[in-house]
Amino acid sequence: MRRTTRFAMAAVAGLSTVSLLAACAGGGTADNADAGGSLQVLFGTSGEAETAALEAAAEAWSEESGIEVTVTPATDLAQELAQGFATGEPADIFYVSPEQITALVDAGNLYPYADELESADDFYPELREAYTKDGVFYAAPKDVGALALAINLDLWEAAGLTDADIPTTWDELSTVAAKLSTNGVSGLTLSPDLARVGPFMLQAGGWVFNDAQTEATADSTANVDALEYVQGLLNDGSATLTTDLGVGWSGEAFGKQASAMVIEGPWLEGAMAADYPEVDYRVVELPAGPDGAASMFFTNAWGIAAESKNTDAAVDFVEFLTTPEQQMEFARAFGPIPARISAADAYRSEFPDTVAYLDGIEGSKTYPTIAGFSEVMADMNAQLFELKTADIPSLLGSVQKNLEALTK
Amino acid sequence: MRSIATAPRRRRRSREARGRALAGLLFVAPAVIILGVFLFLPILTAGWVSVSDWNGKGSPLQPGVEFVGTANYASFLTEEGLAQKDFGTSIRNNLYYVLVSVPLVTAIALALALMVNKSRRGNGVFRTAFYFPSVTSSVALTVIFLFLFNSTGVVNEILSLINVEGPTWMADPRGIFHLALEGLGIPKPAPGAGFEFWGVSWWDWLSGPSVAMTVFILMAALAASGTFMLIFLAGLQQISDEIEEAAIIDGTTRWQRFRYVTLPMLRPTLFTVLTLCMIGSWQVFDQIYTGSQGNPAKTTLTPAYLSYEWSFKSSDWGQGAAVSFILFAIILLFTLLQRWGLRERTSDRSGRLRAARTQKGDPSEDH
Amino acid sequence: MPRRRRKVRRGDLVLYAAASVLSLLFISPFIISIANSFKTDAQATSDPLSLIPSPVTFAAYEQILGSWFPQALTNSVIITIVVTLSRAFINALAGYALSRLDFPGRRIVFASIIGVLAVPGVVLLIPRFLVVHQLGIYNTYAGLIIPLLCDAAGIFIMKNYFDSIPVSIEEAARIDGAGVFRTFWSIVLPMALPVVVTVLILSFQGSWNELSHFIVAAQDPDLSPLTKAVASLTAGAGGKENRFPLKLAAAAMMTLPVAILFFIFQRRIVKSESGAIKE
Repeated sequence: MRRTTRFAMAAVAGLSTVSLLAACAGGGTADNADAGGSLQVLFGTSGEAETAALEAAAEAWSEESGIEVTVTPATDLAQELAQGFATGEPADIFYVSPEQITALVDAGNLYPYADELESADDFYPELREAYTKDGVFYAAPKDVGALALAINLDLWEAAGLTDADIPTTWDELSTVAAKLSTNGVSGLTLSPDLARVGPFMLQAGGWVFNDAQTEATADSTANVDALEYVQGLLNDGSATLTTDLGVGWSGEAFGKQASAMVIEGPWLEGAMAADYPEVDYRVVELPAGPDGAASMFFTNAWGIAAESKNTDAAVDFVEFLTTPEQQMEFARAFGPIPARISAADAYRSEFPDTVAYLDGIEGSKTYPTIAGFSEVMADMNAQLFELKTADIPSLLGSVQKNLEALTK
Repeated sequence: MRSIATAPRRRRRSREARGRALAGLLFVAPAVIILGVFLFLPILTAGWVSVSDWNGKGSPLQPGVEFVGTANYASFLTEEGLAQKDFGTSIRNNLYYVLVSVPLVTAIALALALMVNKSRRGNGVFRTAFYFPSVTSSVALTVIFLFLFNSTGVVNEILSLINVEGPTWMADPRGIFHLALEGLGIPKPAPGAGFEFWGVSWWDWLSGPSVAMTVFILMAALAASGTFMLIFLAGLQQISDEIEEAAIIDGTTRWQRFRYVTLPMLRPTLFTVLTLCMIGSWQVFDQIYTGSQGNPAKTTLTPAYLSYEWSFKSSDWGQGAAVSFILFAIILLFTLLQRWGLRERTSDRSGRLRAARTQKGDPSEDH
Repeated sequence: MPRRRRKVRRGDLVLYAAASVLSLLFISPFIISIANSFKTDAQATSDPLSLIPSPVTFAAYEQILGSWFPQALTNSVIITIVVTLSRAFINALAGYALSRLDFPGRRIVFASIIGVLAVPGVVLLIPRFLVVHQLGIYNTYAGLIIPLLCDAAGIFIMKNYFDSIPVSIEEAARIDGAGVFRTFWSIVLPMALPVVVTVLILSFQGSWNELSHFIVAAQDPDLSPLTKAVASLTAGAGGKENRFPLKLAAAAMMTLPVAILFFIFQRRIVKSESGAIKE
């Protein structure tokens, strides 16, 4: 009985605490510092290094401009952004990727400022295009990284290969992949998704859409050629899908030295340094296909909310964040490759080992920005799990059907 | 049930009845207010969103947001296309998750409860051990499971000790029924042939949970059985020792006592556990959200996660809300089915006891 | 007689062994995780199974304790204490009313509670956020706490339990002239101690582990409870690093308070449960 009373008293104490909390909620801790003089930045962080670098940049700019900047790493960027838009009080500045542009623009959530930047022409044209909708350049790119070919040097030498053998064509890729496939090692490892077969499609002169994204072209002969080439590698035993190799992603196979070559982007660097420091490797540009060299690139940009009460200051801050100097700061702090053309030389001299991720961007593409594409891609990726045995024309035919539904 | 017992008395003393009615209102008031404001009101809002064209900007109740009827529901229920295929796939995945994890978790929970029911030395420690994973947050648990079931992780290392090559777990989309059929030498039928429902072919409906999904099922078995064990324990304490002892003196075996005394008396508890477990399983979200995002090959996509994805990632708010109301309907349907399946044939406690006795006399009567 | 006793004892032994093995199985993931949290990134990836880290490194813990952890722990503790105690109380009140007190609208209230139970939480994320925002409690402790103060599942469990205990004792009290609240407070609640403990534990667990509500109810990192803080650590979008030690250390640190609490209260939980009815 006594125990019960104690529970009860605690419960009552708890309840009164709650009413107290509710009472002071009105004038509570909600941050409403004068909206005129402050900026909110919301971003998805890759870790402490990125958060710290952004905080440092914000502090430096605040001192210069006198405008207070709050930098908030989001738990779930998409969801927290959506919440901001729903209340009409979104963060002023936020990370945005090309596939989000269409939905954000259609809902009137993006402030178009990038055309007015003095440096607008100094971003790589591929990046400008990725953040342009209906002729308007919406957001200043923050970074870029193209897919490249990572080669395990020990396995390379063991197979009797030299620098001269670094593949520059599909045929050469087939040859070295076959030579490297010995003793249970996979010559080349790919994850079954568009982001790995996509470069082959581009190299063959194909792609899932025409440039204007008005017409689906997934079932073109160039795409069929590309997928059949990859399928050939898989069936020769010179390439393996990650799913068949028992790894979560190809970087894991590379780290475990179960694969001699992988196609990955700049994120490979951090993973190799942290988890597999003993692997000796180098990164080169992808080989060219029948239609020339191409790759896929991935990027983020600084979006500014249309409903921001401080768009001028936001644009100023983004300008500061995208100077070549600041982008190099970020590169040193957590690895992103500058999106500014004028930062390229500095990057090349400071990070010679990873320039392939930068050089690959020429002629490359990123995911189409058309609404609903990510669902189609998820469906395509699900089908690519069976790439080894799939009937390529019918696989691409089903993708084509889904893409056509988007352009209607 | 109780109201039947109190009914005659109520007529006799209507003033007391009024007082009790007032007390009843006061007692439920805090719960009703909180649930009303923070659950019911949001549900109504979501209901409106599911029949509107709200695009996520500003409040859904502001002027300019239009009523669109059943268009959002039709977009995946009746219109062929990717949305329908995703919906069908998510239903298939979750159905298997429910069908496997609910009986599994319930059985484990009951077994654990029976194991540690008696006040025996060490049972406190065991209870704590079994319950411990349940208090661990699903975030922490997902982190741990992603580590354990990494393709080169702990579980596969252990399997390799007994010369078994483990699957890639979280990266393996193959259905376990398909794998079993493959093992029996039954080949996959030619694609594109035959019956299709909600964009999913009959062959894919029969896939069983994918290997990746079984990881989540195992996680549920570890994480949820402790909680339900506690509920069973609370139920077991109501079965008085006298009945049990009487049964022991009758010379019954452990199994007979469980089957004809304990189990029938546990029926209300069993109903509680099955209902809560089933509802929780249909709503599985946190693990998918932190662990797999519906991958690999959409085999861990669930309606709850699909709703989130359509809402937040594709800004199809109406469609996202609509799918969760379909999920709501499914859960109600399952609850009613379960209620019907576990319905009591006799209404009061002594009747239940009597039923237990008769069944003891006639073990062939299996219900 | 002696024969049966020996048989029972052998059965007990089997149970004992089974329970021991199972306990180990239930706890082993945590032990392995803790061991790995002291490894270097590379070692955790290449040799996850070994229980002895070599070299032992505290890097993951230093990183966590030096930054967000203390604040997140404080938030979690405040929220959990308030929510757990009030939930048990409010749920018990409502469960009792629904089981015993005939008030107008009782059926509707109970049906709605069952209905609410079935609504998928995800659908509520945005609308619930809109309500919290409308009430002016967004980004406050109140916004994090008040919506969690009672839960349909707890009411459901309470009601089911009250349904199953006989009315006779209460009726005796009523004839003695005790009021409804006094009957509830000093007679029914003590009888219902096992289920009160169950609901207390479930509420503790529910509020300690809550994630989605915390994500929508506040944005300020200073208001992040542990779940949200750890989730943002693991859901780090950019990196492809495994970072197992860091993640596992975070998981271990957020589980540690629970483990300590359980170690302290284990005896009490067990005792109050088994002793309640027979008193």
